[in-house]
Amino acid sequence: MKKLLYTLFALALVITACEKTIVLDQMQTEPQFVIEGLVVNVDSTQYVKISKSVDFYAEGTTPRVTNATVTVKDSEGNVFNYVHNPWGVSVYDGVYASEVTYEGIVGRRYNLTVEVDGETFTASDDLYRVTPIDSLVQEYDPEIDEEDHPERKYLVKMYAKEPQETKDYYLFKFYRNGEEVNSDGGEFYYANDDAIAENINGIEAPGYYAPDDTVTMEILSLSRLGYLFYNDANLLINSDGGMFSPPPANPRSNIEGGAAGFFQTSAIDTEKIVIKK
Amino acid sequence: MRQLFLTLSFLSLLLTASGQDKFTLSGYVKDASTGEELIGVTVWVDEIKNGTTTNFYGFYSVTLPAGDYTLNYSYVGYKSIQKTVTLSANTEFNIDLPSEALEIDGVVITDKPIDANVTDIKMSRNELNVEQVKKLPALFGEPDIIKTVQMLPGVITAGEGTSSFFVRGGSADQNLILIDEAPVYDPSHLFGLFSVFNADVIKDSEIYRGGIPARYGGRLSSILDVRTKDGNNKKFGGSAAIGTLASKIMLEGPIKKNESSYIVSARRSYADLFLKMSGNKNTVYFYDVNAKVNWKFNNNNRLYAAFYKGRDDFSLDGTFGFDWGNTTGTLRWNHLFSDKLFSNTSLIASNFDYITKFDDAAQGFIWNANMKEYSFKQDFNYYMNPMNELQFGYHLTYRKIAPGKIAPSQEGTIFKDTELAKLYSLEHSLYLSNQQTVTDKLSFEYGLRVSIFQNVGKQDVFVYEDPYDNINIKRTDTLSYGKLENIKTFVNWEPRFSARLMVSPKSSIKASYNRMVQNVHLISSGTVPLPFNTWQPSGPYLKPQIADQYAMGYFRNFKDNTYEVSVEGYYKDMQDVTDFADNAEIFFNDDLSTEFRQGKSWSYGAEFMAQKVKGDVTGFVSYTYSKTQREIPGVNRGEAFNANYDRRHVFNAVGTYEMNDKWTFGASFTYTSGRPTTIPSGRYEFGSNYNIDLITERNAYVLPTFHRLDLSATLNPRVKKDRNWRGQWVFSIYNAYNRSNPFTVYTRTVQNDKGEVIDPNKKEARMVYLFPILPSITYKIKF
Repeated sequence: MKKLLYTLFALALVITACEKTIVLDQMQTEPQFVIEGLVVNVDSTQYVKISKSVDFYAEGTTPRVTNATVTVKDSEGNVFNYVHNPWGVSVYDGVYASEVTYEGIVGRRYNLTVEVDGETFTASDDLYRVTPIDSLVQEYDPEIDEEDHPERKYLVKMYAKEPQETKDYYLFKFYRNGEEVNSDGGEFYYANDDAIAENINGIEAPGYYAPDDTVTMEILSLSRLGYLFYNDANLLINSDGGMFSPPPANPRSNIEGGAAGFFQTSAIDTEKIVIKK
Repeated sequence: MRQLFLTLSFLSLLLTASGQDKFTLSGYVKDASTGEELIGVTVWVDEIKNGTTTNFYGFYSVTLPAGDYTLNYSYVGYKSIQKTVTLSANTEFNIDLPSEALEIDGVVITDKPIDANVTDIKMSRNELNVEQVKKLPALFGEPDIIKTVQMLPGVITAGEGTSSFFVRGGSADQNLILIDEAPVYDPSHLFGLFSVFNADVIKDSEIYRGGIPARYGGRLSSILDVRTKDGNNKKFGGSAAIGTLASKIMLEGPIKKNESSYIVSARRSYADLFLKMSGNKNTVYFYDVNAKVNWKFNNNNRLYAAFYKGRDDFSLDGTFGFDWGNTTGTLRWNHLFSDKLFSNTSLIASNFDYITKFDDAAQGFIWNANMKEYSFKQDFNYYMNPMNELQFGYHLTYRKIAPGKIAPSQEGTIFKDTELAKLYSLEHSLYLSNQQTVTDKLSFEYGLRVSIFQNVGKQDVFVYEDPYDNINIKRTDTLSYGKLENIKTFVNWEPRFSARLMVSPKSSIKASYNRMVQNVHLISSGTVPLPFNTWQPSGPYLKPQIADQYAMGYFRNFKDNTYEVSVEGYYKDMQDVTDFADNAEIFFNDDLSTEFRQGKSWSYGAEFMAQKVKGDVTGFVSYTYSKTQREIPGVNRGEAFNANYDRRHVFNAVGTYEMNDKWTFGASFTYTSGRPTTIPSGRYEFGSNYNIDLITERNAYVLPTFHRLDLSATLNPRVKKDRNWRGQWVFSIYNAYNRSNPFTVYTRTVQNDKGEVIDPNKKEARMVYLFPILPSITYKIKF
């Protein structure tokens, strides 16, 4: 909703505004570690990814960190060791997988420790339960007009119940035939339940879909800090440079020791629909 | 101690006031053709080499020993006239001042110089000549005093297309903007393209950047005091204008000749009408209405009622709507208790509100917020003797802020009725000041204001384990306060002092000190406030903001007061300026107080101004060097950073040339250092295809220099004899040499022309430019 306001404002100005790509100087930085971890409540291999930041104008994928020691310990004292790229495929460089499969348990706290090049980073997150998705429903809209994909004439709507007695934070992910739909990395989908009533009747998923597309929607629980991370990251990605929106700032994170990123624990619910003609 | 000293000096003044036989000469100074009272007219008595000026209501009073006196009345844009009187009793002496254009017989025109620039005790103050503003080039041809304010020395803008301004290191919310004494909380139309001030109804406006008199308070950095016309009480008249973007009409006239008059004006933009015709479902428009009536029963009693309402409406696709506006009302009673004691009693109401609507079966909502303010003001001018003029008064203000309320737009949307707690406050202010002529060279104005600010119930105040922790918010207690129950009180003494020393008949040195206190805080974390920002009172988690400003200046006139030159330097020290944590959630946050961060700010600068006030060519050039920094705990690692409106060099020039009766040309030029902004130093990958900027320092990058030239031409066609109306054409060119001026810079993943991301691991910076060359035409008729 807040973003809608900023967008609205931007719209008011585009009447006469124009913009150009420019090259700014002063955009170099010391490389910083970036840690991204996720523990879900599904018995499976869990992952942590470690990379480094680069100068703003640097091209290509960012450097992966392959020599870290990664462990996760839960509040019951269980320790899970991670190994770097057990598959040995270079695209998975920087990805650490848990040695054994395990299930994140709702109500527990998970503590991540990363040791690399003599530095230690730690992070903790609490795993909360999630509201299940009741159903996904497709809807035909002849007015949808996607230039490159004229066959995409369907939108997908979600139905669910929001528990009113607790304060909840959510992250949503959407996939078209397994590929994430996120405005090319331009948008995170997240929410808190402030001012939200119990019945969620037909919230529209991003993107339009064609017959036979498999649309997958995931709802993940977040801690408050997890919500703030996504909120801040989304604000930063969509910042206008601080004219009307707040000055750009790094997202708040649970990682201690000076690394960027977030260590997230989530309960997850997944729902799929295959678009029928 | 200081207060005791002031009290004593006032007492000593009162004692010296009695003595030989003295009589008072008092009255109103009016425009000869419209009956409008004139504000700030110099009334000079040759025999005592001293004088006074008319107050906000056009009233003056001088008390002199019996005898013969020569009085000179002078005012910019008017003929100066001279009157001789024999004073042997208290005398009521109203003056009609003819405007320069008017041919008039039977009055003695004096050559008494208008040298207020040098002789006036006030510094860091500018009057805005609305007649000149109308001749200057304007965006879309709509004359706007705020755009001229933005050209003055010591005033900075964040960029074009906004109505915000930044005075001597103060942020945009530190300006008290008054229309007929009522505060305007958001002065913008169309998100800032225009201000709420319709130039057709403005009689007088002035801005104080420093040396602020004790009768004003409530904001740290400036006072923009706009007063509207009362309406012609001699004959009916009006004007109408059709512009590129907006049209307007104004009517004025007597209700009872010389005694009572009215003025109404209305303005509306009409781009939306064209949109509608073209089948577009988007709409954007604004309107405003000013209305005023007055009854001048006699010299002793005058009653005024003024009303303003303005609103902007913006809607997208018929489903998303957003509108906001101000409504103000002022009821004013001028009363003379004696010919020396002038009283003004005002009742003032001001309301600002906004509504956002989204009409959707699943996600529809209506969101509104408002701020209401009611004031009672009692002000007195006591004209003790020609050496001492006292001002004192009491102001009471009650504010009610409803920061936000969300409701579902229809049955079944995801939203439920939710409301943020309302906030209430009461503010009492008392002030006393004296303008004292010590010798014919030295004058002082000194005063004291005390503000007693109370945050009151009804409110539930949350107690936090750590009031600055906005991540793990832990409320440990809730304190409930009943209606009007005191939650927190702040008492602040605000001393004010100005001095003027004539160093030659044509030049003077002035110095001033003022302390200002601000108890309302704008909740906005961007550079430029938006109409959907709300305000909060000082309270348990917000301390009053305090500014101490020291200023000194040299003022000199040249060539028979044709040229006015001034140099001023200032230092301003601000405590507890309100700022916000990084990534603060300022909208719809029940625990908003955890986002507040108050800290220090300081600013210093030098301002040069040269003004030509007479002749065919008039105008001014100004140059300001200033530096403003902030140090806010928890922001930018606690290190000092440049304020986001800290533009180091600002050069402005404004001029009009009256070639002949037919043609007048205007030009304005601005050349300004870029605005500091925050740019990333690096980037990192996250998730699938997300690339997030890495920020290292706040406001470390300076945008490119801003410069722009605007031109205008006003054509007054010859009046045809059989017509009783006159037409006028105004042609304007905004950004005459089509400079691409930076508005803001943002970053994104590189996109192709279709807006598609080709490589998610490549980012770019994008500069946004606002206005290209924009010509406009306005046609206006006057009758």
